[in-house]
Amino acid sequence: MFIPAVDRDAVPVDLYICKVVAGFPSPADDYVEKSLDLNELLIKRPAATFFVRVEGNSMLGAGIHPDDILVVDRSLTPDAGKIVVCALNGELTVKRLAREDQQWRLVAANPDYPDIAIHEGLETIIWGVVTASIHLI
Amino acid sequence: MHPLIALVDCNAFYVSCECLFRPDLWNKPVGVLSNNDGCFIARNNALKALGVKMGTPLFQVADLVKQHHVHLFSANFPLYADLSSRIMSLLETYTPSAEIYSIDEAFLDLTGICEKDPISYGISIKQAIQQNIGIPVCVGIGPTKTLAKLANFAAKKWPKTNGVVDLSCPERRERLMRRLPVNEVWGIGTRLSQQLAQLGITTVWALAQQPAQRMQAQFGVVLARTVMELNGISCLELAEIAPDKQEILCSRSFKRPLDNLTELSEALAEFCSRAAEKLRAQASTADRLSVFIRTNPFNPKEPQYQRSATLKLATGTQDTRRLINAAKQLLQGIYKEGYRYQKCGIQLSGIHPNSMPDQADIFANPKPSNERQLMACLDKINHRFPKSVSIAATGLNKSWQFQPERMSKRYTTRWNELAIVKCS
Repeated sequence: MFIPAVDRDAVPVDLYICKVVAGFPSPADDYVEKSLDLNELLIKRPAATFFVRVEGNSMLGAGIHPDDILVVDRSLTPDAGKIVVCALNGELTVKRLAREDQQWRLVAANPDYPDIAIHEGLETIIWGVVTASIHLI
Repeated sequence: MHPLIALVDCNAFYVSCECLFRPDLWNKPVGVLSNNDGCFIARNNALKALGVKMGTPLFQVADLVKQHHVHLFSANFPLYADLSSRIMSLLETYTPSAEIYSIDEAFLDLTGICEKDPISYGISIKQAIQQNIGIPVCVGIGPTKTLAKLANFAAKKWPKTNGVVDLSCPERRERLMRRLPVNEVWGIGTRLSQQLAQLGITTVWALAQQPAQRMQAQFGVVLARTVMELNGISCLELAEIAPDKQEILCSRSFKRPLDNLTELSEALAEFCSRAAEKLRAQASTADRLSVFIRTNPFNPKEPQYQRSATLKLATGTQDTRRLINAAKQLLQGIYKEGYRYQKCGIQLSGIHPNSMPDQADIFANPKPSNERQLMACLDKINHRFPKSVSIAATGLNKSWQFQPERMSKRYTTRWNELAIVKCS
């Protein structure tokens, strides 16, 4: 098995932050780093990462507001405690995955919404794992 | 090390793309329609089970569609292209050498990677694409491309294979090839299979037994190579870089018939723009342009007229404006008043790479040197803000252009068209 190099877009990094005409070069020249990149922060596996828009407020307790954009990574394993996008009754919905007494359950962050017990295989229900919520102010 | 090639092919690709964000459709009959919402270009198994064949015009099965609540979509190519590129980038992690064959198929070179258990490797590829991208695929494996294609066909046809078939083993190969008719082989169409039938060759096995030299003498080298490939001798290499297109065609049927020069000019200008973009994308120039116009041949009551004309440019170009001017000139020559045109198009040929030195034309004015920069700028703007800048000759309202009525959202390429998830 070979592992191919990760091929990110080239990011030009300044060799020097200023031209050196005469006099002293900048003391910061040895410490130049590339700029902060949101893609690097939010997207670990681009091929498996999707964005979706939130409607409704049942997950406010988890920090997910209506109109937020969720970053969903399908490559991650759904584990207890993770927030997931799942297919329920023909709709994509957002829930927290819980496991009690060998039973998987889907839990909303709002106590007004009842838990849902999962009887099929997880892979038929779970669409992806939510890794971030983007809330524009 | 024995050569080993896999063909990974998506199941009902366009429909699978449409269903990714639509769990409500996962068990329903779904079809995707061609550019003018005219015919079916994709059907899932539930729709195939209703007897709808590839290419069936929508109007022919309108009752069936209504009766069975078939869900229809206009082709959403931005979505399909994005999901395809995700799949291809994932496939490239499974092999050092991949050939992207079409929007939903790729050949992978598996030589030396999974000699102990190719089937397990194929299964892991299939599962990875299903989990990471949500698209179902089948994997066919064999010592040659032709056998990989055949294996893929078997994987699709027989669900008991779990979607992965390996034809490395000659006994399994023989069993399969005895069962399949010869027209299931890659590259053998109806006409060739009829010619082979006259020689008594009706199964793939029978074809594989033919001496390659005899096939070459009778039918040409392509069939000879196919026969060798069926016997496990690899003749077709994986092409990692797609060759440049030698001809670029752009044409469409109109939403309503056009009966005036102005609107036909607009349409041709639009097609020139699109074709020129493709030309620039492959860093080529074209020096030959053909234009065709025609009335609707399926409406015998209407007076019929169709003409085409070709022009050779003095020097190759990739400048949209020069192509539009040439197209307008050609149109003037073939346009006839009094007809209702249903379709027109342009074809670019005489395509050469950009890097070839321009042959200057001593009779023409010196070409302004900013032609390339202007086009590059146009492409850059349109890449960032799609369809924002165009040549005025393409018209402002373009009411002749077909508007797809059933297009889904561009879930993965537009921020304002994201899929909605419910928190309720």
